[in-house]
Amino acid sequence: MTAWQARAAALLREPLVHFLVAGAVLFVAMAGRAPDVGERRIVVDEPVVAALVNHHVRAFRRPPTAPELDELIRDHVRGEVYYREALRLGLDADDEVVKKRLRNKMLAIAGADAEAARPSDAELQALLDKDPARYAAPPRYSLEHIYLGDDTPAVRAAATASLQGLKPGARPVIAAAALPLAARFDKASQTDLAAQLGDEFAAALAALPVGTWSGPVVSGFGLHLVRIEQRLPAPPPRLAEVRQRLENDWRSTAVRKAQDAHLQALLDGYDVTIKRPTEPAS
Amino acid sequence: MRRTMMMAALLLGSSAMLAGCDALKPKQTAKSDAAVKEGEFPERPLWGDTHLHTANSVDAFGFGVRLGPEDALRFARGEEVTATTGMKAKLSRPLDFLVVTDHAEMLGGTKALADAPGLLIRDATMKRWHDMMNAGPAGSQRAMAEMLDARGRNAIPEAMMNPEGAVERTKKVWNSNVDAVERYNEPGKFTAFHGFEYTLMQGGNNLHRNIIFRDGEDRVRTVVPIDPTYKATPDEIWNYMDAYEKSTGGRVLAIPHNSNLSNGLMFELTQPGGGPMTADYARRRARLEPVVEITQIKGDSEAHPFLSPNDEFSGYGVAGWELNNLLSNQPKVPAMYAGEYVREALKRGLALQAQTGVNPYKFGLIGSTDSHTALATADEDQFFGKHSGTEPSAARAMAPQNLGTRKGRFGWHYLASGYAAVWAKANTRAAIFDAMTRREVYASTGPRMTVRVFGGWDFTPDDLKGDWVRAGYARGVPMGGELKPGKGAPRLVISALKDPEGANLDRVQVVKGWIDSQGKTHEQLFDVAWSGDRKPVGGKLPAVGDTVDVATATYKNSIGAASLTTVWTDPAFDPKVSSFYYLRVLEIPTPSWPAYDAVKYKLKLPPEVRVKSQERAYTSPIWYTPSQKSGKN
Repeated sequence: MTAWQARAAALLREPLVHFLVAGAVLFVAMAGRAPDVGERRIVVDEPVVAALVNHHVRAFRRPPTAPELDELIRDHVRGEVYYREALRLGLDADDEVVKKRLRNKMLAIAGADAEAARPSDAELQALLDKDPARYAAPPRYSLEHIYLGDDTPAVRAAATASLQGLKPGARPVIAAAALPLAARFDKASQTDLAAQLGDEFAAALAALPVGTWSGPVVSGFGLHLVRIEQRLPAPPPRLAEVRQRLENDWRSTAVRKAQDAHLQALLDGYDVTIKRPTEPAS
Repeated sequence: MRRTMMMAALLLGSSAMLAGCDALKPKQTAKSDAAVKEGEFPERPLWGDTHLHTANSVDAFGFGVRLGPEDALRFARGEEVTATTGMKAKLSRPLDFLVVTDHAEMLGGTKALADAPGLLIRDATMKRWHDMMNAGPAGSQRAMAEMLDARGRNAIPEAMMNPEGAVERTKKVWNSNVDAVERYNEPGKFTAFHGFEYTLMQGGNNLHRNIIFRDGEDRVRTVVPIDPTYKATPDEIWNYMDAYEKSTGGRVLAIPHNSNLSNGLMFELTQPGGGPMTADYARRRARLEPVVEITQIKGDSEAHPFLSPNDEFSGYGVAGWELNNLLSNQPKVPAMYAGEYVREALKRGLALQAQTGVNPYKFGLIGSTDSHTALATADEDQFFGKHSGTEPSAARAMAPQNLGTRKGRFGWHYLASGYAAVWAKANTRAAIFDAMTRREVYASTGPRMTVRVFGGWDFTPDDLKGDWVRAGYARGVPMGGELKPGKGAPRLVISALKDPEGANLDRVQVVKGWIDSQGKTHEQLFDVAWSGDRKPVGGKLPAVGDTVDVATATYKNSIGAASLTTVWTDPAFDPKVSSFYYLRVLEIPTPSWPAYDAVKYKLKLPPEVRVKSQERAYTSPIWYTPSQKSGKN
């Protein structure tokens, strides 16, 4: 990036520049047509009609018929009349919705450049290095489970007893209860297991041994014995695989920062006086 | 009860985040749908919300929401966001998919001014002016002079000149929505659909549809969302959908919602506006509207006690919504209910099929929120309200919600409902959309119960001991399917599994509808599986019980069952008449959101307020149509 480009980029981020530019656009746009509140003529000229037709074509893939166009034009005139009369009456002043909308427009202006900016790979890599766990895929498990029914002391005791002295490779001898769910999962992600058996079950898997039956493990349905066949931790996330998520996070933060800075810059130009009631409200 | 991560401290300062405002082409870093492997059959239901509003919806905005589509997507994916009222919000269990459906009529206004800087930077001429202005006061003046000169020569860049501006604005807000959706769509992990709401209204009667695209940005950027302008009929949106499909080769579907506020117009027996329904109309409707949203915050549309007096569980989420139409400008009379409730519509579909040869109301069922907070919440203990004015607060349960009238709707009438469950073979736009078109979907009022049903002719209870899912697909049809004529009576393989983070199940019911040889429609409910050793008394199954402690807003899973399964045979099957079967799965009673509010804010609620209920799931029906030679229907 040359010094000139850097300077231009810095300028692009200046709220004052946005203000000037937006003002210039409005000035030029207004010079061409007549949204003057005092103006009593409504001219539906060719460009207006063309815009109405274009909108229709974009929606329906065909031009409006003559009666449809008549109605579009009538509706345009109605809208224009209401708009101007409302402005004439000052209905835009102190309107909470108008205020909120303008506020949102200001926020959008303030965030626009951050929104359009592209983070460098180095910036994204730094973000990734800061919290790799956030971007890592969940571990996967191949496992078998035996559903034992509700979580009661008796079932717990039976489960523990069935595991005692169990030979390697042997299956516990215990009464299984019916559950309309797969008894074996093949390379299922922890997320999928959580969705099907509950968060508690999925979280418990990390601490279980591999290759032997263990438990009882609590799910959203009751107690289980579990044999993890294979635990497949996800490899550390690589930039290329999680670029989109990193960009989303980067952009989301950048936009908020730009908006906060913009607000601060604006606030700096105001003297704000706050007078609270002396008695605290009850 | 571990679903309590939502509420937290108030935040200071501004946190609003608007989604992208520039029609920037996102890089295709995400994998495509095609790269995701589809399973042999759907393994688990994918949960989502097909109906969510953000700051880009005019009414949501009017209510004060400041969160845009990006926040909505982040929240649905499980990220923490700051709600409009300043509370931190995080969904304890992320959703699998989301459709942001802002009202089309707003997608023009909000960000017109905001687009100015973006415009300048894209257009070469404007970029030059921009740079000149940045060079200092002299450059600014020169730029201004050039602009005025250009103005005089009619050489102002077109983007600045658009006299109406509306088209460009709609396009830009739409494009910025498209940007956000593309950025958060991660095939295989989280699906973000392009969509919008077509807010069709006839005199305050709700005929709204959500429009959902199967396609990516390349196709959806070629259209703009339309709003109902001068022709208040569904034809207009169907024309739009047909034109889109024809010119882009893409796919799009519409999901009607809040039939309960249509004052009888959503499921008419006639052509809209009167006259006998035509086969063309019926065919078009069935093709473009394969799914209906049966439950959401503004009430539940399954069944009304007036229409189903023998159904002791009808009337869920009806209070407050049965009085008037959406805008409360026309009272409702009972004669209108038949055109408003889904069970009746399914029956009407059979009647219209007999009359026209086509069933216009052969649709699947989903739930969604219709939240206007950008937060897709449907759990009772983490309900963020209908709109930003009803986010958690001490006053919201009893606040009048009458849209300016005094017609008896209050905060507590809103339901913390619902979600859409989709039996898709992969978490991609294509797989989820295709599951919707084949109606392999079901509705929940919030809890994530796993519900399966297969219809066939030769299922036996032994099937449940083996690989019954595979058997179900091999020898039957799943929910949403059509049962071809066979031998004997239809048998349904039924399985319901409780929400692993939620309440136990009370019972599974089969709702059967049919049309007799005189053309009259009927319905009947069957309790087919239930918890414990309850015995029906006089044909009625005793209530499951009630463990809710309203004072603490808690319940216990000491009653009910974790799962319910059965193979059920229709005991009164007549092969000569058309019929349908769908499941209703009831949870044990649990506290409703006003009860949680009462505990949190130490409220004393009036006796009429709903503080507990039996939440439920509704599956899409399975239809049976006799072959031509075996019956005249």
